[in-house]
Amino acid sequence: MGNVLNSIIINKNVNNTRAGIKKPVFTIDTTGKVKPKEDKAKLLPSRIFGSPVEYVKDLKQDVVNIGRAAKGKANDHELGRINDLAMKLGSLGLAAYLAVKNPLKMSKAMEFVGFTTFFTSMALWPKLTIQAPLKARTGVDIHQKYIDSQGRKKMLYQDPQYVLTDLYSKEDLEKIGDKLGVNKNLPDRDNFIKQRAQKTALQGNTLWMMTAGFATPLMSALMCNRLEKPVNYLIEKLNLRTSQNAFDNNGLYQGFLDKLKQRIANARFNKFISKNMNKPLNTEMVSQLSEEIAGRANSAVYKDAVAQNLSALRKAFTIDNDFVINAVKAKIPASSIEAMNSVQKEALESAIKEGSLSKIAKILAQTTAGGRRQETQKLENTILKLLKRAEATNSQATVGDFANELKSLFEISFDFTTRKNVLDRFISERVGDKSGSYIANQWDRVGNQLMKALKLKGRDLKALSEGNVDLLNDRLISLAHGSNYDSTVEKLMNLINQYEETTGEKSFIQKVQNGAKRICKEVQNNLLKIPEFAGITDVISSEAQKGTLENTINQFAQERVQGAASSFYRLIQTLDLYKRIEQGSIKQQLEELLSKQGQSIEPEKVARLIQACKDIMLKATTTDHVEKLTTTGFNLSKEEYKIVMEVLFGDKAGETIKSALNSSETGPKIMNGFMNYLNSFKENVINWKNGMTPDIQRRVLKDAPNSSNSAIRNNLVGKSIKDYVKDFAQQRSNSLKWLKIFGISMAVLTGVTLAAGLLIGRKSKIEQQAEEESKVNG
Amino acid sequence: MVNLTGVENKNINSYKIKSFGQSEKADSSKDNKTKKESQSHQDNIILHNKTIFSPVKNTAKIQGNRLINAFTKYPIKGFKGSKNANFYEFLTMGTVPYLIGSGMLMAVFTAASKFFDTPSAQKSLKVNKKVALGVAAYGVMKTISKKFIQIPVKLVRGVDENLAYEKKIYELPEKGNEDNLISKEYHKIFESVDFPRWDLLYGDSYYGKERTAFYNKIAKKYGFKDEELEQADQKVKPKIKETLIKTKLFSTLSSYIWAATGVGIAMQKPFENVIFNPKTRLNQYKNYRETYTPFLKEFGEALVKSCKEFVNNSSKSARIAGRTLLGCAVGLTLLGNFLSIKDFNKDKGSKTHASTSLIDESKEKVMC
Repeated sequence: MGNVLNSIIINKNVNNTRAGIKKPVFTIDTTGKVKPKEDKAKLLPSRIFGSPVEYVKDLKQDVVNIGRAAKGKANDHELGRINDLAMKLGSLGLAAYLAVKNPLKMSKAMEFVGFTTFFTSMALWPKLTIQAPLKARTGVDIHQKYIDSQGRKKMLYQDPQYVLTDLYSKEDLEKIGDKLGVNKNLPDRDNFIKQRAQKTALQGNTLWMMTAGFATPLMSALMCNRLEKPVNYLIEKLNLRTSQNAFDNNGLYQGFLDKLKQRIANARFNKFISKNMNKPLNTEMVSQLSEEIAGRANSAVYKDAVAQNLSALRKAFTIDNDFVINAVKAKIPASSIEAMNSVQKEALESAIKEGSLSKIAKILAQTTAGGRRQETQKLENTILKLLKRAEATNSQATVGDFANELKSLFEISFDFTTRKNVLDRFISERVGDKSGSYIANQWDRVGNQLMKALKLKGRDLKALSEGNVDLLNDRLISLAHGSNYDSTVEKLMNLINQYEETTGEKSFIQKVQNGAKRICKEVQNNLLKIPEFAGITDVISSEAQKGTLENTINQFAQERVQGAASSFYRLIQTLDLYKRIEQGSIKQQLEELLSKQGQSIEPEKVARLIQACKDIMLKATTTDHVEKLTTTGFNLSKEEYKIVMEVLFGDKAGETIKSALNSSETGPKIMNGFMNYLNSFKENVINWKNGMTPDIQRRVLKDAPNSSNSAIRNNLVGKSIKDYVKDFAQQRSNSLKWLKIFGISMAVLTGVTLAAGLLIGRKSKIEQQAEEESKVNG
Repeated sequence: MVNLTGVENKNINSYKIKSFGQSEKADSSKDNKTKKESQSHQDNIILHNKTIFSPVKNTAKIQGNRLINAFTKYPIKGFKGSKNANFYEFLTMGTVPYLIGSGMLMAVFTAASKFFDTPSAQKSLKVNKKVALGVAAYGVMKTISKKFIQIPVKLVRGVDENLAYEKKIYELPEKGNEDNLISKEYHKIFESVDFPRWDLLYGDSYYGKERTAFYNKIAKKYGFKDEELEQADQKVKPKIKETLIKTKLFSTLSSYIWAATGVGIAMQKPFENVIFNPKTRLNQYKNYRETYTPFLKEFGEALVKSCKEFVNNSSKSARIAGRTLLGCAVGLTLLGNFLSIKDFNKDKGSKTHASTSLIDESKEKVMC
């Protein structure tokens, strides 16, 4: 390098005379030489929030940089930026995975909300609590950016050993100096300003590093917490709108994806048929086919109907009955046959002809009752083998015999399923027993008002969340007392009004009925075109028959609407009960009813039945009612059950409410609704008339007691008051505790950070000394 | 090489990092003591493979030093506005929000649940376990996964991205006339692709007697024959740079996808049933066999089941998503290995150096 310099400097003229020092003069021949590149570095406008356009530009550049780096051409700056981008991409991938894994739409959305709030908090925290206050107080933007000569955006104060404060204009520097309070009389003031700015930025950045770890997760969690309701609201609106649009289009609208799905499904089924053309239409194949054809329909009724029809086809072709009958008979012990009466023998023969293993086993079990179960089991196995062999060896229907019909049935079923799914979604988004449905959200929304009406606050909620039923009992006693009663009934009445107005239940049920009729009629007409499967139409819709597909759809919607309204009416009914207890009319009625039944009127017995009435109102579920309150916690005898039901749902029920509602305009409407609730309850639950399909009975009696299937538990009578209040109290209490802990933590952290910010950017000792010196020097 | 300093076993490059004053001091020293002192003023490579325990020992030493300083010395310097605070310290302090943030993230989910009612606490416990584990899995997978590319590159090309050195910083006096203010920093030779510490790799006896022994070794790994080793350093530096850039790119990109995969695995059901109970377990550390062996077994089983569930989830969409995430991570790792190891400029020479250099070497320069 030295040689190069020597060759460049061709004339060095330095006057070093002692008389005076002159500047050296260099004459440089730059002909044909290349100068260093011009300094193009400049400060970017100081902003707290960056512009989205710049963000997109940077993002684009980062993507380009990835391409460059993959070719081995990136520099440190570019690799550093790629790291930030990769972190965001990785987190987005994680959010997407967790969203896919989560079944609820709300949870899916919250995964992305969490991702967004985390990075937003990461960026916002230093801006709001450190950068902005410091900039306002000292004029120093600790996150000031600049573009270097190579066009790279960098933080000015990132490296304390390399701060390009020269990039500040004189005016900007003066402004910062004024805000920092640097003495105007200081010699070399600019230098002091630069030092103070540098020190301020270093302190600010250190504060950022020390607090970001605490702040980012806290801020993100609090933001998520606050965003939960708006997000839920948006999702609800979106779900209602999309399900309504699809419903209005009768499920006919098919987008590209729907058409593609149908094509794929048809192709898949056709392949399945081609593959199994020569296979017999045996039990196993019937099961496979019914799953393929009706599996998506989400309806056991439809699927069973398809399976039965397929079995009927199989029987039309089957089989050498004599072979089976003789073979089975040969295997059945003579003693068993002998033990049968003529009816049983006939039944056995018919079962064997049908090939129904379960029927054969049932008949044999009847005749070989007692300790001969093993023998029956052995026989069952033998018969099963024989039937299979018979199926295999005898001529019977194959899939190929009905290939075209099956394909048509699949197409009709697919179309029907698509439409039914649209209707199911229309119902489920409104009244479904799922988190985020309109009815569930509506309950959440009125929850606060309901608690206010019942005068349940902070401590009460805490006690209730721990299952303190006594407190609820005491509160209802006080609400039923004196003038409290009328005002509480009025508040509840307003809530019912509000709820029914927003739910629009009548028009909803009407829509569901029309929709169900429409799709059921359509599939019936289509199915009638294939005589082999015309039998399925019976279970789809029939005026004479209950438990059809159309009935099931309508019934579910009605049950849900009724259940939700029942929850309100049940509260009113409970208040009525407490009022009547206070008035003493319940005691009187119980004594009358007991004496009518010829039972003794012992005070203990009356008190126990009064307590039972309270417990039923507060705790009983649909299951308890269907079990006639013989379940744990109630244990009522048949006679007691009748008495208690008469007290709660008889003619005298609601008599105190009538007077309370008289003065109100909407009173008659509410009373009408209340009476409907009582009557419907009596019909559907107490008397088990109409509506209780075998399916619902089975679900209520068998499934619900052993599971937490709230859909069944709550459909008819709504959630029990105790359960509702407890759930609400738990949710509210937990949410408040969480908010209290982390809200306070966040507030403290913010306070400490802001306070620490006030200590930043103070004068150094050297500066103080310089100030003092300048004062002394005048 | 011409010995400019008169100090044996030293090369000229080692002086590039010194201030003039210190060099002069070293030059003027004559006795052995001074020689030793001057040698200790150099930045030293911390060799990872001297003994089998070296990597663990050195990593522990470096990370321990960085961690302690990140929480103590550097924040104090930063808050004081020290004139000696530098970018390394700022970057090292980045560990603080990373660690505290992880702890806070766990706390946000777990801390409040002990105040909840029992059923809610039990419900939240299941989620909390998975979240806490997810946070840990994120950190572990992010760290480990980088090795999936770094190790093969090191084995095939000899370029160890993590090769560390100890740097001595001669600090300015803070208050008065204090001297001999030295602080240590732990850097990586290749932490910068623009300015790798090439100088430290010259004349290191660990690699051989020759001054360019390291570069000769690397050149051989890049396929240069013995007769082509003249000026091997100049030949392989661009290649090393290219390899480094690609390694850094793909190890970074894939590490975040691996981290997401780790969290995804931690979020599977089998972990809900593992009893962690860290407080009790820590209290029972004396009976570590009885305490930890069954726990590790239980944890291992849950991990295997979770991995299986992650790729074979009963939900179709979750299964596809899990496989996609894992596929991306594996794919990027394999691609990273291929592109980093493959020498695309074997015959034509790397263009990297010229393209990333800010100075056009084909033209004459003017200093003014």
